[in-house]
Amino acid sequence: MKCTECAFEAPAAKFRYLYNARIDASITMRQCPQCQSWLAVNEMNSEAQHLVTPGEAPWGKSSGIEGLADDFNA
Amino acid sequence: MAKSQQARDVDELVKNREWWFVAEKTRSSRLDYLRKAVWKKGAIGGNYAPGIKIDLKFPQLFTEKWKEHDGDPIMLQKANALAHVLDNTPIFITDHAQLVGYVGSAPHEIVWHWQGVSMVNEEIYNEQGIIPEPEQESLETLAELNDYWGGRTAVDKLARVLDPEDAVKFMSGAIGWGTPTSAVTYSTKDFDFIFQGFEALLAKVEQCIEDTEEKLQGEPSPELLPLYEKIPNWEAMQIILEAGIRYAKRYARLARTVAEHFESDPKRREELLRVAETCERVPAKPPRSLQESFQFDHFVQVILRYETFEGAWPHRPDYVHGPFYDQDVNVEKRLTKEEAIDLVGEHLIRTYEVGIFAPRWTREGLQGITGTWVWTMGGVKPDGSDACNDLTVAYMQAARLVRVSNPTFGFRWHPKVKDEVMRECFECIRHGLGYPSMRNDPVLVANSVHWHGHPVEEARTWVHQACMSPCPTTKYGCQPFRMASATANCAKMVEYALHNGYDPVVNMQMGPQTGDPREFKDFEEFFQAWVKQMEWLRNILVRTVNLGRVKDPVFFSRPVLSSVYERAIETGTDACDPTNGERGNAWVTGFTWVENADSLAAVKKFIYDEKKYTMAQLMDALNANWDGYEEMRLDFVKNAPKWGNDDDYVDEIMVRCLREVSRHAKEIKCPSNNNWPLLPENVSGNIHYSSVVGALPNGRRLGDALYDGGISPGPGLDRKGPTAVLKSCGKFDHVTDGRAFLLNQRLSPTQLSGEKGYQLWKAYMKTWADLGLDHVQFNMVDDATLRAAQKDPEKYQEVIVRVAGYSAHFVDISRKTQDNIIQRTVQGLG
Amino acid sequence: MATCKECKSFFGREDDPGQGDCVTRQVDPRQSYYRAKPVEAEKDASKCGSFQKK
Repeated sequence: MKCTECAFEAPAAKFRYLYNARIDASITMRQCPQCQSWLAVNEMNSEAQHLVTPGEAPWGKSSGIEGLADDFNA
Repeated sequence: MAKSQQARDVDELVKNREWWFVAEKTRSSRLDYLRKAVWKKGAIGGNYAPGIKIDLKFPQLFTEKWKEHDGDPIMLQKANALAHVLDNTPIFITDHAQLVGYVGSAPHEIVWHWQGVSMVNEEIYNEQGIIPEPEQESLETLAELNDYWGGRTAVDKLARVLDPEDAVKFMSGAIGWGTPTSAVTYSTKDFDFIFQGFEALLAKVEQCIEDTEEKLQGEPSPELLPLYEKIPNWEAMQIILEAGIRYAKRYARLARTVAEHFESDPKRREELLRVAETCERVPAKPPRSLQESFQFDHFVQVILRYETFEGAWPHRPDYVHGPFYDQDVNVEKRLTKEEAIDLVGEHLIRTYEVGIFAPRWTREGLQGITGTWVWTMGGVKPDGSDACNDLTVAYMQAARLVRVSNPTFGFRWHPKVKDEVMRECFECIRHGLGYPSMRNDPVLVANSVHWHGHPVEEARTWVHQACMSPCPTTKYGCQPFRMASATANCAKMVEYALHNGYDPVVNMQMGPQTGDPREFKDFEEFFQAWVKQMEWLRNILVRTVNLGRVKDPVFFSRPVLSSVYERAIETGTDACDPTNGERGNAWVTGFTWVENADSLAAVKKFIYDEKKYTMAQLMDALNANWDGYEEMRLDFVKNAPKWGNDDDYVDEIMVRCLREVSRHAKEIKCPSNNNWPLLPENVSGNIHYSSVVGALPNGRRLGDALYDGGISPGPGLDRKGPTAVLKSCGKFDHVTDGRAFLLNQRLSPTQLSGEKGYQLWKAYMKTWADLGLDHVQFNMVDDATLRAAQKDPEKYQEVIVRVAGYSAHFVDISRKTQDNIIQRTVQGLG
Repeated sequence: MATCKECKSFFGREDDPGQGDCVTRQVDPRQSYYRAKPVEAEKDASKCGSFQKK
């Protein structure tokens, strides 16, 4: 897996697992061991997608009748 | 008549649901000043806010006198030390305040209780920002205190008598949350008894001493010998009651001095003189007015918090103070409603401002607050009639004006509650406070009778002992000790069943060896392993707490609590002494409970019923924390039945688990020989334990937040709507299958706006009541607001959310807890 | 030697003339308040930074 911020490359397991966005989705948060950035990771293909910033989907995404994040595609 | 500009502004704010600004524009200038004057004491994501300092005067004064009385019986020694604090600690009166009393020497200070566990006392050196200036001098003082108290704290003493294996496992941090001592505790108070006034209590104590001394002059016999130990206990109570009266008089003196020598505003001068008269009167004598009643109550609460870290605030203030409100506002008309609301609002603020330094593990479990101060409202009187009164309504209205996150309210709903009161409850929820939680009074009264044998008239007096558990406020019903230090990290039950009793996170053999699950022939064998792990986990916690409880009078001692406990005064014993008649009201708090049902259901379906996977495959996936098994993990999440969807497959497993625990709850006993039912709830333990519980068959990985409530479905896993959630939760008996069950629900503020919203909610509450659920609480803040608050916390300082058994300001809780709250399903009603 | 009883902030106790309260006005970033600390009337106040002769 390659860090989107510093280009560090290693197997996904080397990136510290933090927590999931939702238990029923494959998007999780992992921390780069080199630059310490928090990365959104697709666990299905072990791909680091982007840096996680406060208030950003998919973090902070409810299910239910409203407030659905339209940028969430698990 | 046309509306004023201010009224139009308020309408606009209401329309936009900007509740903090609505409150700001509609409350009195006094309440506005007092609310904004409070220093925030709850830790923000685990750290204290800038400017918050430890009050060093308190431990210094206490220790100085404690050393002088070395060798005295412990209750006497402690009473003298506490009296010295009450006589000498600096006191203050905030501008505009009508109620006084604070646990600390200045508004930005919090007290540190160092007498509990010396190993966490060391943490204080590394807490950034809280050491008072000059820092070097303060650190030296702290080091001196820690050097003296090391080995002398309650848990240090307890550790010497605990079974070493139990001690190591209890202290591992993996299975239990709490310290089995009164040093971190909570206690019920009987205000019918306390409001006789300290002078009347002193007279009782003096009479006991006189009678006993006379007996001690009699013929020698074994019966006389225990009496010798009672005398110093009564003397300790005397010292405390007298010191309490003197402490109040110090405030009276200060108020009078300010009125006569400093204050130029005649109105404020008059207020200060009233404060002085109030403090001259209470707590020495019974209260006569609403102000005296609040003030008496607050002095008792403050003095108790000098004695120990009272982490909860069991109280029923509308019931206790309601008659004074009625007399002052309705009968004698000494106060207008607006003036009364000012006092009620200030009562909330005086409570909110109390802060106590907590070690990090406590702060992580109680993010954003000092303790779970759930005040009980509504309910019934001992004769079963409606106890709601005008003060119930006033508290709800004042809460919307001051918007504090602590105390919160738990409302005892029953069929006779008037619509007017229900509307007030709903308005608080709609204003995003997250409280009151709604409690089913008939169910919980029956539950108290069933589990602990409280007579029904006593059971009807119940208050929330902490977040959830009812406790009567009567002579033999009052609970003096946090028995819930038996707080179980229940997800470990299924984790240990999977790992043969071994804990793969802390790397220790914890539970019994129940066998390698790969060798189990059927689900029944696996379930029986779970039962054994469940029994072991509850047993070790309860053993430890039972021992802590019986040893508490000699290892810690509670002279203050004893001096206001009727049964302690009558018997000359410590309030925590279980031999003085306490009926018993213990419960095991069950953190992280629902993971058991979801995990067992997944194992039953995929491993044993459908044989889609082998146990060996599952264990490989769990041991890898699901890394490399994402497709399989998603199968376990999405295709295994999940609690909260009215699915009998998993719901029956949940019911079976609860019934196994309830059987066990009657087999194990507290020191009063009463039962230990389970009470599933989480505070923010679901976040604290997220890095302690390993991967589970419900699809979680080590690190993921655990489910948020006691019986709340997993966030986002309740896909069948709110009625399905209620139906699942209604499949077990909320009287006999456990002590109480916390259910979090998120509702849509848009859907529930206006009268239609209230009617939808009321219909929902009817279904809830008809199904016999004992608890439900709501978050009603939308995702957009919460996500905006994450991006720009400065702008959203006052957004409040319901975390679990408590509310907190959203910006004060950790990012992970914030995400976990947002993840909860927003249920559409109707 | 200046003593506490000579200070403007000292208010003696009627029930115990040897004792009194040092009452001061405090202003912090959030609130203003009056604070009382118990003091002995004859206590040496020569090193007290807040001493103000009556």
